[in-house]
Formats: sequence, C-alpha cells, structure tokens
Amino acid sequence: MTWGYSRPVIRAIQAAPDMTYSLVVTNQHLLPSFGYSVEEIEADGIEISDRIYNTLDGYTTATMSKSLAVFMLSFTDTLVRLRPDIVLVVGDRGEHLMAAIAAAHMNIPVAHIQAGERSGNIDGLTRHAIARFTHIHFASGPDAAERLLRSGEEEHRIHMTGAPQLDELVNGDYAPREEIAALFDVAPDEPLLLVVQHPVTEEFGDGTRQMEETLEAVCELAHPTVLIFPNNDAGSDDVRLMIERYHRPFMRIERNLQRRVYAGLMRSASALVGNSSSGLIEAPAFDLPAVNVGGRQRDRARGPNVIDVDYDRHQIADAVRQAIRPEFREHIRGSESPYLCDGRVSQRIVEILRTVPLDDRLIRKQLAY
Amino acid sequence: MTHDLSLYVVTATDTVRTAMERIEANKHRVVVVVDQGKVVGTVSDGDIRRAFLHDMLPIAPVTRIMQLNPQVTTETDPAQRAALLQAAKVTLLPVVTADNTLVDVELAYEPGFQQ
Repeated sequence: MTWGYSRPVIRAIQAAPDMTYSLVVTNQHLLPSFGYSVEEIEADGIEISDRIYNTLDGYTTATMSKSLAVFMLSFTDTLVRLRPDIVLVVGDRGEHLMAAIAAAHMNIPVAHIQAGERSGNIDGLTRHAIARFTHIHFASGPDAAERLLRSGEEEHRIHMTGAPQLDELVNGDYAPREEIAALFDVAPDEPLLLVVQHPVTEEFGDGTRQMEETLEAVCELAHPTVLIFPNNDAGSDDVRLMIERYHRPFMRIERNLQRRVYAGLMRSASALVGNSSSGLIEAPAFDLPAVNVGGRQRDRARGPNVIDVDYDRHQIADAVRQAIRPEFREHIRGSESPYLCDGRVSQRIVEILRTVPLDDRLIRKQLAY
Repeated sequence: MTHDLSLYVVTATDTVRTAMERIEANKHRVVVVVDQGKVVGTVSDGDIRRAFLHDMLPIAPVTRIMQLNPQVTTETDPAQRAALLQAAKVTLLPVVTADNTLVDVELAYEPGFQQ
C-alpha cells in the first residue's frame, strides 16, 4: 500500500525541472503471490531503477528479520551504484529502516515521510528508529512534529507538511462508484464491507484466532464483503489461510488492489473493518467509519470515525452494525482528522527536498536531549 | 451423477506441477483447489501460463497462483446446474454446500472425452 504514499511525491519530482529520481522496489511488490503490485507502478509509467528481491518464504518472525538483512545488503550496493543526493523513505516498514541505516552510514542524507507518528506493531518501533537515522523529517500533523522534537530531533529538520498519501484522495483520484459497483458486483442499496486485517508482529501465533473472530462476525452479518489479503509480515500465512477457508458467496477476496480501486472502495464502502492504518489515516477523507480490531494501531492518532474493538466476534459485529447506521455516518461527517492534507502536500515536500542545502549542517546530526 | 473428484481436485499444499499433472489427466483445463474439504480457488491452464510469465517455478504452491473468487454453485438440480455451467462458459463448475464444502463438479463434457 505504500505505493499510494510514494506516487504523488514521485509525480511532483517529475514535475520539477531540475530533479531526477531513482525508484527502488522491493519485498511483496515483486511477488506474484502477493498481487505483484509492481505492475501498478509500471502501468503508471514510472521508471524503476532497481528491483530488490529479499523476501524469504515462511513469513515467521525469523524470516521477516532475515529478509530485512538481505535487503540491506542489496540496498547498500544500490547506493554505491547510484550515489543519490538524498534517500527518501516513505513509511514505517523494516526495509525503510534498513535503507535509512545504510544511507546514514554512507553520509547520504535521509528524508522520511510519515515521521513521528505513533502506532502499534513492530512498525511503531521502526518509525522512531528511522527518525534517528533521518536528516529531514516530514510530519503529517502537529502531534507528530511535536513528538519528533521531544524525542531529540533538531527543529530545523522537522517539517510539518501533512500526509501526502491523502493528496490523491483530496484531488479526486479514485475509481468512481459505478466502476466499483461493476467491479465487485454490488447493488447500491446494500451495505458493503471492506476488510483488511494484517498479522500483528508482537502477537505472532495468534493470527488464526484473530482473523477467525473477524470472519465469524463477517459471516454473521452476511453483507457483501471485499477482503484483501494481509501483507507478508510474520504470521501472514495464518491470516491468509483463514480468509481462504471462510470464503462464502457474498465475499470477494483480493490479493492486492490498485490504489485508485482501493480508494474507490473506501469511498463506496459502508465500513472498513480490520487493523489497517488506512482506517485511521485515509478513511476520514471519505467520512468512512472504521471498525479497528485489536492492537496493531495502538497509540495511533484517530478521529471519531474509528470504533475500537477487541478480537471478539460479538464486539466486531456490534460495532459494524453501529458503524453502518446512517446516523453514525452523519455524526462523523466533516469531523477533524489528525492527518492534515490540502491536496498539495507532495509539492511541499518536493520543494523542501529541492531547496534544502546539502551541507555539513544537514548531514551532521545532533540529538538534542 | 457424482464424479470421481480426485481427478479434478488439488489440495492447498500441492504444487503448481501437481495441478499441471491433474489438468493433463482430467482434460478440463482446470482444477479445483480444496483446503479441509472447502473450495478455496481454482487453477487453470491460463493461471499457470501467467505464473510462468512471472517467473514462478513449478514447485510453487498452487495457492499462490489460484483464482480466489471462482464461480461455484449450491444448485442441486442437474438441469439447473448444466444451465449455469453453460452460462458461465467454463469447462467445470464446483458444486458446494452452503459452507463452501465441495460435493461434486459439474462438467461441460464427460471424463475421457478428448476435447
């Protein structure tokens, strides 16, 4: 999903006359069994510099860690070859941390989008580890910017730009309702559920039960439902297997969806269920209610569209019933989101990257605490 | 009639190669992927071709390349099933119970018939 974060920024770089980019694509983007989303990047006409295959099969905590080590080996060679002026990492995944470590060791400035936020899962730790190796932070809101400052990052490095992954949504770049209705064969008067639930790395081994609770609730409600396979974090095989076993005629299962289709689904759906950060970050842009299950988004800033529940089929089903009521949608309409976007965040980020002096002050970090 | 399902079914832990062998044997260009008795997908000649174009190996598990949303039917009436099969323009339609357990396959032509 991080392509949705990168694409508007790359487009803005393309539009800047005096800038070039090299895109490195890795992990599940390159794997057919996870939807082969590199095809979306190719279809967008964006040039790919390197494809780094790093993913060890197994999807356990150990293979996840070792896959990151493989990525760091390869990415170091990429940096030797390309010698970029800046390495831009977009997100909170292990590969981003590896890239930041490699670049910082090679005295290449690191810029980080989605900096300073809080969340559960290993991602929550990864994001703040990235911050220590980052020279230019892009924060999505004042809360994230403040956290960076208080964690010892120097003020001149912190830019409160907003969330670039919302640019395309604010600017209307998503599949229209008619296209979604045709693609997923849904009637306009029926509630439509979108389910995205990933394994939680700190709760490795519990994914089968966690997914079962959600799927039991989905089966009880029996509304048309689009389920998307989880990412390939440790435990993803368990989650995927449960989805396959619970397949019912009212469900559609997808390995991966193009960003514009996913965004269109969010706009058309009655509720988003699971533990994707998109329920907290992107869903408010469409006034979409999100039933957030379990601890993966623990501590992440949220607006009133989010209903938090445990891994419990009854809680989940009740929350969905509440979420899809028109009164709830009315209640959250236009409410304030902690993730700021005016549709020009990417341009703002690129302008900073374009003009920041690549000097000693930038590369020599001081931790202020 | 009920068919010998072993000819039309692979399990979720089987490889792409096994699916190819089964398709070669059943002459219907597709197999049903079953996990604990439930239909989880189908794999066709075309799915295998696309997988190879993506540089996958024959030892990959079938679940990695299968169609996740195959058309199935719970219809019990043979004439209705045959009509559904024809409308769907497929060579094989899995017949399932309400909880997606595979009970039979509806075939466009009988086994042994060389298409």
